[in-house]
Amino acid sequence: MVVKVLTEGIGEVDLCDIEIYRARGGYEQWRRAVTALGAAGVMDATNRSGLRGRGGAGFPTARKWSFLPANGRPRYLVCNSDEAEPGTFKDRMLLERTPHQVIEGILIGSYAIGSRHSFIYIRGEFAEGYRIFKAALAQARAAGFVGERIFGSDVTVELTVHRGAGAYICGEETALLNSLEGRRGEPRLKPPFPAVKGLYGEPTVVNNVETLAYLPHILRNGPEWFASVGPQRSPGFKVVSVSGHVKRPGNFEVPLGTTLRELLELAGGPLEGRKIVAIQPGGGSSACLFEEHLGLSYDFDTMAAHGTMLGSGAIVFFDDSTDFVKAALALVRFYAHESCGQCTPCREGGHWLEVTLERILHGGGVESDIDMLLAVAHQLTGINLCPLGDSIEPFLASVVKRFEGQFRSYVRTLPVPA
Amino acid sequence: MTTLPKEVTLSIDGLPVTVPEGTLLVEAAKAVQTDIPVYCYHPKLGPAGLCRICLVEIEKTPKLQIACNTVVAEGMVVRTQGPKVEDGRRAVLEFLLLNHPLDCPICDKGGECDLQDYSIAYGQGMSRLAERKELKPKAIDLGPTIVLDDERCIVCQRCSRFDEIVTNERSLVVKDRGQRDVIATATGAPYRSNFSGNVTELCPVGALTSKTYRFRSRPWDLQRTRTTCQQCSVGCALNVDERHGNVLRTMSVPSDDAVSEGWLCDRGRYNVGFYADERRITSPLGRFGDEWVQLSWDDAIELWATRLEEALASAGSASIGVLGGGRLLNEEILLVRHVMRALGIANVDWRTGRQRQASPGARGGTYDDLENAQAIVTLGRPPSQSAPVMDLRIRKAVLRNGARLISIGAHPASSFVPATHLARLSDLAGTLAEVERIAFVWDGIDAALGAEAEAALAKLAAEGKHVSVFVPGETPNARGAEALGLLPAGGALDTRAQLEAARGGTLRILSIFGANPVLHHPAGAAFVREALKRVPFVVATDLFLTETGRLAHLVLPAKAAFEKDGHSFDLTGAVHAVNAAHGAPPDALSDGEVMIALAAHLGIDLPSPRELADWATASPATIANGLGDAALCGSLAPARDGAAGLRLAIAAHPFAGGGTVYFDDRLGELRPRPGLLLSPATAQAAGIGEADLVDLAAGGRVLHDLVATLDGNALEGVVTIVDGLPEAPANDFGEGETVTLGNVRSSRALAGSVV
Repeated sequence: MVVKVLTEGIGEVDLCDIEIYRARGGYEQWRRAVTALGAAGVMDATNRSGLRGRGGAGFPTARKWSFLPANGRPRYLVCNSDEAEPGTFKDRMLLERTPHQVIEGILIGSYAIGSRHSFIYIRGEFAEGYRIFKAALAQARAAGFVGERIFGSDVTVELTVHRGAGAYICGEETALLNSLEGRRGEPRLKPPFPAVKGLYGEPTVVNNVETLAYLPHILRNGPEWFASVGPQRSPGFKVVSVSGHVKRPGNFEVPLGTTLRELLELAGGPLEGRKIVAIQPGGGSSACLFEEHLGLSYDFDTMAAHGTMLGSGAIVFFDDSTDFVKAALALVRFYAHESCGQCTPCREGGHWLEVTLERILHGGGVESDIDMLLAVAHQLTGINLCPLGDSIEPFLASVVKRFEGQFRSYVRTLPVPA
Repeated sequence: MTTLPKEVTLSIDGLPVTVPEGTLLVEAAKAVQTDIPVYCYHPKLGPAGLCRICLVEIEKTPKLQIACNTVVAEGMVVRTQGPKVEDGRRAVLEFLLLNHPLDCPICDKGGECDLQDYSIAYGQGMSRLAERKELKPKAIDLGPTIVLDDERCIVCQRCSRFDEIVTNERSLVVKDRGQRDVIATATGAPYRSNFSGNVTELCPVGALTSKTYRFRSRPWDLQRTRTTCQQCSVGCALNVDERHGNVLRTMSVPSDDAVSEGWLCDRGRYNVGFYADERRITSPLGRFGDEWVQLSWDDAIELWATRLEEALASAGSASIGVLGGGRLLNEEILLVRHVMRALGIANVDWRTGRQRQASPGARGGTYDDLENAQAIVTLGRPPSQSAPVMDLRIRKAVLRNGARLISIGAHPASSFVPATHLARLSDLAGTLAEVERIAFVWDGIDAALGAEAEAALAKLAAEGKHVSVFVPGETPNARGAEALGLLPAGGALDTRAQLEAARGGTLRILSIFGANPVLHHPAGAAFVREALKRVPFVVATDLFLTETGRLAHLVLPAKAAFEKDGHSFDLTGAVHAVNAAHGAPPDALSDGEVMIALAAHLGIDLPSPRELADWATASPATIANGLGDAALCGSLAPARDGAAGLRLAIAAHPFAGGGTVYFDDRLGELRPRPGLLLSPATAQAAGIGEADLVDLAAGGRVLHDLVATLDGNALEGVVTIVDGLPEAPANDFGEGETVTLGNVRSSRALAGSVV
């Protein structure tokens, strides 16, 4: 069942026009937050809604906000729009099709945590989204929703738009902060965590576009409305990017708890004459599920219980035409290429897996390579500075184990070159 | 600051450890002599969390943790051994060695390499990599001093973090990413820093090597001696590594926390090529007319002693002058003083350059005072030029403790940290209201300014502020020479007066100890040359035939700093041991040994070695030689200050000064070229562009063909030139005098920084 919360009006009206957005109640929750609810009211509603981060980690949003120390230092809210997880394209749609909703969400979130100057970091490749968002921000500023003395109060929220330069790693929040500060985009050592020492060394919250965009709706409809949808610990709605071997790939907004099979059907089902054999449910970093899992509820906790994750909500369906050696190489190559290179296991291990898979694919593999792939992928996991290195093993290991025959067929049937 | 930090007790490998709260696990482990391997971590750079080799197991934490970024906690149970930790380490080492060339047999680091050592201790002896190793450039020229072997690099980023955290110069970066990452400068320009050599020591593998040491030796063939650097007055501890009588390299002493904190400047590290330079004087030389004749030491000392006795008999001790001493060790200074006093000679002055005073007076501070100051004020030549490692303390105070750096006068601080600049000392009043601890650094050159500063500091001290004063010496042991009394007492002649007496024909003998007044004395080269030519007998001790030595009648081959034992003062007055690390040329004698020989010839009794040692290691305060500085500081010619036009500032430079730098061919790229530094606006007004050739003139004196460098940090209306360059001696010019620039020609020469 598709719902229309964030996606309301998309494809029907031009929500980039602030007048159209306002005519549908836009910025009213921003007004209500400042003039009626107060920051504590927003915080309370967010807490009661059970909203969990939509960027990948699924951390409860209000709890993340509560980690900011009350030390009188300036605080920053940074909206992470460096959407680059393989298979994910939901934030791009929100930026390009309903930018005011994103702005309103950022403003409400900023107000809740007390950020007087917030930032949005937009993926470098989103040229169109960047242009549209800038134009929308100019409208919002002209309308008095961004800047000083908002709605005649003493509330100030500035919003700065920053466009990345095209590095996947800058989606990791501390790499994003480095990049935003003009430094090399590589993750920071933690602790200290951004909540304590983030942007410019000050307490900082980094929230995903979709997470923030839900805030106006939670205020409008009440936290209970949001909390009552889906599983209790994983409530609310989610824009899911479905792609791969389906007839109608796209973004589908659904209540969490929708089954994978329903999502497959929303996307038009498998291609003619094909059968789904594997499902990557949460972006390139997630382990595969398989056809027997199609009945699972798509929510944070169910995915975790099955050894994978919901992640950013990107589902890739693989049918029985898939060459999983090639699929594995594509993803491993991606992570090896996007490794910032600062820490050893990810830098060296990713590259090693890439050249090994290439060799297998080109006929130079030996039997022991299959075990070595698993061993190397495992030994580079869990000892990295950031999650990028740890993203390699889940998919690779899950498909090697499931489709071992495909891998063995490469090393068996092709002659080893002299 | 006064409350003791709380302590935390934890267990490491079953042993209880109690350390202050906030201690990093990697440091706590040292308390129980447990070796946790590290590459990217360095105690002075802090954790980076990149190499992942320091993995340990912590009870109740599922994943292995890095010891370098884990803060100890009460009751924490840590295992640095066991299968889980060993698996983690083995994994990291396998990754590190995956594309490493394993060219240990030809690698300079072999034998002192952390990658080699840990691979043997924790590695698996075999790689599972079936592919060809990645090939990368083996010799990337990073700049004038450093070469990068990119295949060996493990990207620990110690070098780039040093360049950021310690020097704040931020020129080294990691370029590109993933497997393709490489150490480079951000701009692609050569890596130039006065502290570049430190990265070769920080590098845990053989990736960064010094051009001067590359492929020269294996570490186990080196003989190491700890001594104290004698290239400037900071007093850094230094390890000299020598083989077969050749100084091959110098290394920092990491435990030297009181002074260098384990860093060396490039002058101290790299200026060692002169030891083996073939131009060194290897026997006493007598000049008879234009002819130089080798003499035996006996003949040389006898000649000197005879001339002294003749002069004393015919014209008295007032006809004899003694110059220099700022490059000597304390024992040598004491022997010079002892012999001269025994002969009744009072015309003694160590000040053969611009500096008038090397003592900070009653408010002398320690390097800790400098680091803990809330405001650091520099007056005159900044320590970045004359005392580089001291400048790192200043940067630390600014960067880590938030100190304010204020420079006054014609010389900006040039410290790579935020600084404010004031035109006059009087502008300082009122800017230090909030500050309790002030460090004041003065170059000791302009005595009147020094007196003015002292009055201002006295006022600040009277307000209850803690004021500490620092005067970097123009010569390494200027402090020793001054404290131990190489000064004209009781109306005797100082350097300028001696030179004037020489020109007047009343000076019969001039003895010069390791000094080069022709190049350095502000009376100017022509004036000093003329004076020396009129003295019937000039003796000079030195390593080389310098501008001054060539005018002497007797030149004695001296021992250099690594060739003698003794003590020296650093600029704060702390005593340091100097130990012979290197065999001197067979016929060289230290100035102290020369004094002993001279005393023997003249029948002068010497102090006992015990007495000598007691004086040489006493603190300047207890020496109390009874010489008031104020009376001695008045004879400098007043600055030839003009009314309008461009004002001249004369700067120091770590690689200026002639002497050991001039006779070290390997330093060619580091020596400043004769040039001048201007602000862009000043240059524009004078019609000068970057790299133009310019003549600088004042009152008939001219320096030709100076290369212009435009620098946004230079002060408006000021032209800065470098002191002590033999090819363009600046000592014909006075600080602050008005100069004209002319004969501007464009040049293809690349402009390099002159200060």
